[in-house]
Amino acid sequence: MATRALLAVVTASPPRMIQIKASTFSSSLKFQRHITTIGRCFSSDTNPSVLQPPDVSRLAETARISLTPSEIEECGAKIRQVIDWFGQLQQVDVSSVEPAIRAEMEGGNLREDAPETFENRESIRASIPSFDEVYLKVPKVLNKE
Amino acid sequence: MLSTLQPPRSLTLLPFRRFHGSKTIASLASSSPTLDASSVSPPQSQILTTRRSLLSGETTASEIAKSYLSRIRLTEPQLKCFLHVSENVLKEAQEIDQRISRGEGVGPLAGVVIGVKDNICTEGMPSTAASRILEHYRPPFDATAVKKIKEMGGIVVGKTNMDEFGMGSTTEASAFQVTANPWDLTRVPGGSSGGSAAAVAANQCMVSLGSDTGGSVRQPASFCGVVGLKPTYGRVSRFGLMAYASSLDVIGCFGSTVADAGMLLHAVSGYDRFDSTSSKQDVPEFESQSLSMDSFESKPLKGVRVGLIRETLEEGVDSGVRSATQEAASHLEALGCLVTEVSLPSFSLGLPAYYVIASSESSSNLSRYDGVRYGNQVMADELNKLYECSRGQGFGGEVKMRILMGTYALSAGYYDAYYKRAQQVRTLIRKDFKAALDHNDILISPAAPSAAYKIGEKKDDPLAMYAGDIMTVNVNLAGLPAIVLPCGLVEGGPSGLPVGLQMIGAAFDEETLLKVGHIFEQTLKGSGFVPPTLPNVA
Repeated sequence: MATRALLAVVTASPPRMIQIKASTFSSSLKFQRHITTIGRCFSSDTNPSVLQPPDVSRLAETARISLTPSEIEECGAKIRQVIDWFGQLQQVDVSSVEPAIRAEMEGGNLREDAPETFENRESIRASIPSFDEVYLKVPKVLNKE
Repeated sequence: MLSTLQPPRSLTLLPFRRFHGSKTIASLASSSPTLDASSVSPPQSQILTTRRSLLSGETTASEIAKSYLSRIRLTEPQLKCFLHVSENVLKEAQEIDQRISRGEGVGPLAGVVIGVKDNICTEGMPSTAASRILEHYRPPFDATAVKKIKEMGGIVVGKTNMDEFGMGSTTEASAFQVTANPWDLTRVPGGSSGGSAAAVAANQCMVSLGSDTGGSVRQPASFCGVVGLKPTYGRVSRFGLMAYASSLDVIGCFGSTVADAGMLLHAVSGYDRFDSTSSKQDVPEFESQSLSMDSFESKPLKGVRVGLIRETLEEGVDSGVRSATQEAASHLEALGCLVTEVSLPSFSLGLPAYYVIASSESSSNLSRYDGVRYGNQVMADELNKLYECSRGQGFGGEVKMRILMGTYALSAGYYDAYYKRAQQVRTLIRKDFKAALDHNDILISPAAPSAAYKIGEKKDDPLAMYAGDIMTVNVNLAGLPAIVLPCGLVEGGPSGLPVGLQMIGAAFDEETLLKVGHIFEQTLKGSGFVPPTLPNVA
């Protein structure tokens, strides 16, 4: 997946606006119109044409989730709709804005790297689907190409 | 950024019409709460009432517990708030009664009947996050919040229904059942903490715990006519809360009064060494905010600066919700607040930024559900197949969709375009809030663009459902505390549908929210948001 993305960067065609299909939105999203008044500048560090539409089968494989063909179709349509909608973030000027990992955080909440024994091991064992005294049983791993 | 509304003694004199275009303000009379002749006095704290009557011997914990269990039995077939009812309720109540009769001390939550959302781990009780992949899973430990409740004598009556793994705004995405709104059984209770909100509204429990990642406590509080309190990120330990989006998740509280929500919050707050994102900030005594009516002066909130967020009253918000919010603003003014309008320019960016961040983080957090160490396993002849089938069959549609969206957004080459960018937008949103809260003590807005809608109405249109979160997600991105309390009714259902006012505070300033919220609630005319009696129930 990573290699494919790199290839896309190398062979990029000139940037084009991501089309946000107005008809996709229901009326309750009318106030999304706001965003056109916010920063019309394109950020220079993102090339929109790099963003290939989602390949649902590949994503499902990466996420280790099996989907039926009808799920791929249904899910796929909805995902593409939502990812298109995410595209509006591309229009915001975020040059020199630091990314916020989370809300304000106090530092120094680290603990000693020392293991502690959890007393209720029986209860943990009771939840394991396939257990063979000491080992969690799983099937073999086949080497993929 | 600030625009002051001119000379007003009362906001209703102002030209709010400019927001409505050619529409006139919906008749104020139609949005005033239905006056129930028997409940003209302001709502009482159930926690304080329970404590008083147990210590005075007026009643026993067993009697209280029995009456709640019986009400649950009667109303559950129609409401379906609970995924599991505890088998130990009467035993725990008896233990409290025995301690009291022996003259031993009992905790501040003794005998209080509490519902817990099913994504919060309760030892020995099923905790499924409303997902098939965790069907029958019984955690080996209590979440810290649950542990604290138990230490204080609280009785966990059961686990409440929710949208699977917190992903949803209606509780329809539960793998097991759909919860009905006690105000109208054909409507949703909101989500994802719909079961917790509805259970308190229907008096199946006194208070309950939920979780709020993008509004999942505040929106159902609005839909069900109860108080929903979202604390500052880090106020309450997340240990034992099944993670959805780690930078956004918090555990929140539901109650029928602001005082109850505040007392429950106090009970579960505090630094926890098992959650390195939990804060070491002092936890103030929230209970002292529940002053009695007699101690109010005529303008008890004099000098409190309130900012009404302009972007939340624009097109796309139901007129009934808008009027209820404006009336609430007038009420605050009458109490002495200085209400002005504020603008948060990055407001509408919050929704896509939130969904990028939440789905990205969830794709990582839900990778632990692989059928190997716990949960439902679908056996296969090869390891990857075992993962794929266990997850494919164990997760519902919305969960799968969000994991895939997150996987896409975090893929190599896309991280900058989506996740990092959303984090940068988050910085912009935080800055806007900080600027507004530098000049105001609290900000107010509706909790949702509409009252509760019909079951099935938004199920197939993800963007329509996401749009309903517009009022709440920015608060999670900024990590701020917020409370929602019922402020009015709009048309719909047998006796109208409740609408909630959201109040947002500065980081760790839950005290101000509780003080303002409590006074607002106690002075609201016709207060007492009680849903209609269920058909076939005495």
